[in-house]
Amino acid sequence: MAQSRKSLTVFLPLAVFLVLAWFLYKGLYLDPREVPSPLIDKPAPDFRLESLSTPGRIVDRKEMLGKVWLLNTWASWCVACREEHPVLVEFSRTASIPIVGLNYKDTRVDGMRWLAQFGNPYVDSAFDQAGRVGIDYGVYAVPETFLIDKQGVIRFKQIGPVTPELLQNTLVPLIQRLNG
Amino acid sequence: MTLRAPGTHRRAIGQRSFWQWRYRHAAAALLLGVALAGASALEAPEVGDNPAAERHMLQLAAELRCLQCQNQTLADSNAPLAVDLRQEIRELIAKGQTDQQIKEYLGARYGDFVFYRPPVQGNTLLLWFGPALLLVGGLLALYITLRRRLARLEAEGVTAELSDADARRAQNLLDEENGESSLS
Amino acid sequence: MPWLAGTALMHSLAVTEKRSGFKVWTVLLAIFAFSLSLLGTFLVRSGVLTSVHAFASDPRRGVFILLFLGVVIGGSLALFAWRAPKVGLGERFEVISRESMLLANNVLFLGAAASVLLGTLYPLLLDALGMGKISVGPPYFDTVFVPLMAPALFLMGIGPLARWRKANLPEIAARLKWAAGVSVLCAIAVPFLEGRWSFLVALGVLVAAWIVSSSLTNLWSRVRPTEGGNIGTKLAALPRGYLGMLAAHIGVAVFIVGITLVKGYEVEKDVRMDTGDTVELGPYTARFSGTSEGTGPNYLYLRGQFDILRDGKVVRTMHPEKRQFVSKSEPMTNAAIATGFTGDLYISMGEPVSKTAWVVRVYYKPFIDWIWGGCLIMACGGVLALSDRRYRLERRSANPSALAGATA
Repeated sequence: MAQSRKSLTVFLPLAVFLVLAWFLYKGLYLDPREVPSPLIDKPAPDFRLESLSTPGRIVDRKEMLGKVWLLNTWASWCVACREEHPVLVEFSRTASIPIVGLNYKDTRVDGMRWLAQFGNPYVDSAFDQAGRVGIDYGVYAVPETFLIDKQGVIRFKQIGPVTPELLQNTLVPLIQRLNG
Repeated sequence: MTLRAPGTHRRAIGQRSFWQWRYRHAAAALLLGVALAGASALEAPEVGDNPAAERHMLQLAAELRCLQCQNQTLADSNAPLAVDLRQEIRELIAKGQTDQQIKEYLGARYGDFVFYRPPVQGNTLLLWFGPALLLVGGLLALYITLRRRLARLEAEGVTAELSDADARRAQNLLDEENGESSLS
Repeated sequence: MPWLAGTALMHSLAVTEKRSGFKVWTVLLAIFAFSLSLLGTFLVRSGVLTSVHAFASDPRRGVFILLFLGVVIGGSLALFAWRAPKVGLGERFEVISRESMLLANNVLFLGAAASVLLGTLYPLLLDALGMGKISVGPPYFDTVFVPLMAPALFLMGIGPLARWRKANLPEIAARLKWAAGVSVLCAIAVPFLEGRWSFLVALGVLVAAWIVSSSLTNLWSRVRPTEGGNIGTKLAALPRGYLGMLAAHIGVAVFIVGITLVKGYEVEKDVRMDTGDTVELGPYTARFSGTSEGTGPNYLYLRGQFDILRDGKVVRTMHPEKRQFVSKSEPMTNAAIATGFTGDLYISMGEPVSKTAWVVRVYYKPFIDWIWGGCLIMACGGVLALSDRRYRLERRSANPSALAGATA
């Protein structure tokens, strides 16, 4: 003799599956390996490193206070950096804000040679051979670029190359806003 | 890591073994980290200045994620960042920092993503307490379902006693002389 | 996850087979088991979770698999929702009975599968909702899985002794007194035998000993000599389905022993070894006797020789190698692995620190092959159960009702 059960509970597995499928669909458009930075809206970590080009000179983060600026991590061994470099070089020619390079786990010789070959958009590059400053900034994939405001607070972090679209649609408007 | 084409190392004159040539730099680099004094002549000493601290570091590193790898712990990975972060942890342990402080240090730089043991906080309550809730809820639901089922069967007149037909069947089975009769 | 759902399905089928009850749940478990394996394919291939098997980051491939999932899983669950209410209740059994214990077992297995699914998908859930990015790894799964499975493992001892329809708990407790005592004794004694007492090891041994001793108790009650026959005839009369169950459960116990002892007593060391130096690895000592060089088919090799001693006598030698292939710039490391019934030894050469001394990594993994062995025994149990005569109904004598209530 057939019994009818509460018609609602039998739909539960289907309902759970549909919710799950929706999340899976959204997940297809996310990157599981992208790590958002916990440093957004926090003060940029201090550093005092030697300059890449001039060994005696010190590049100090405190010098950049009062200005809006970009910190771009790069290395001569980094293939993706070559992709973004022309974008940065172009930007540095016309832009109102300075770009400071963070040469990450590289050698002086290789770094200088790379800049000579591909162009130098930086006001200076800090020589982070041991990668310690990189760790302080949560760098895990080169290139990474930080936008830092006048008070020295990190406002934006780009993981991966800077593209012209990113520059135009995100960075430039943000820079304008931060500049007042 | 820069790759050099094979064959670009030149063998120095007078070096006999391929392997001596191969590892000529390794000795200098490694001697720095190896404990030498104090170990007995025969029992091999563990690498590193302080094996206990090393094990402590690896214990911590086993629950941390290597961000440059595909699902490897900081303890297992040989990626450059993993090597650097292991060194960082070694130094923090040497400075006397507690496990909690070391975890906070790394969390402040890389976020919760770096912990393979997710912190118990607002957005992970469901994660940590979900299984227990599922278990208790499931067993409770089972109990309620079984009772309701019994009630429904009773209402239909199905009792706990064997029906006459079943009793006869059972007797037949017990009397049969094939080897299939079961005990329970 | 499919394994857990499949195991629950298998136990649920026992209830359906005997009591025609819970057919609905059995069907649902069958759908779950297959759906979870499809889901596994999706998770791994689509790039939704980090995996070496993921295709390129183009989401279109993932969408295709997701659509396939939707059709198969969504379709079967929809069909289930439509037809399930039409299935009958089946026969009667009490709230405490073998049937209900099997069903509780199902809840536990499903709970475990759901927890694994929760842990696997949680980072995705949070990311999709913009609530942060976290990682869920082994520490979570270890913490959550073991307490969920422990009651199931405990039930494994009680279930087979419970009667169908209505179980008599005091009777079961009385029959299992001996098994409980033996389990506790083993739990206390075995860790000492291995050299160091540890609570976790004791727990693992307790569970494994419980499973084995309660299985043997059950077996004894079936084969002990009575007027019905002696041990021999009774053993021969045991249905293969029953033997399959015994073997599978004992396989689980062996598996647990393997995991427990390896995690409790494994040794891993990075040591500097010069010729003649030794290193302790559990009950073994490895002595480095030097290296030799040679040429292989397409490589040069440097071979280390390690004598393995136990109680002062050499029991075997191991030869880890470094191989330099013509086409590569870095040498490959070939570890030496010595497999044994009571454990494995693993030796791998790192870098040389002098003309004769090397940094060597050594592992001792006690009872690790019991993990594989346990699975093999479980598989044998499966084969035994499959070969049970009751599954060959066409060849049976004319009385189908005699079969309906028969066996294990």
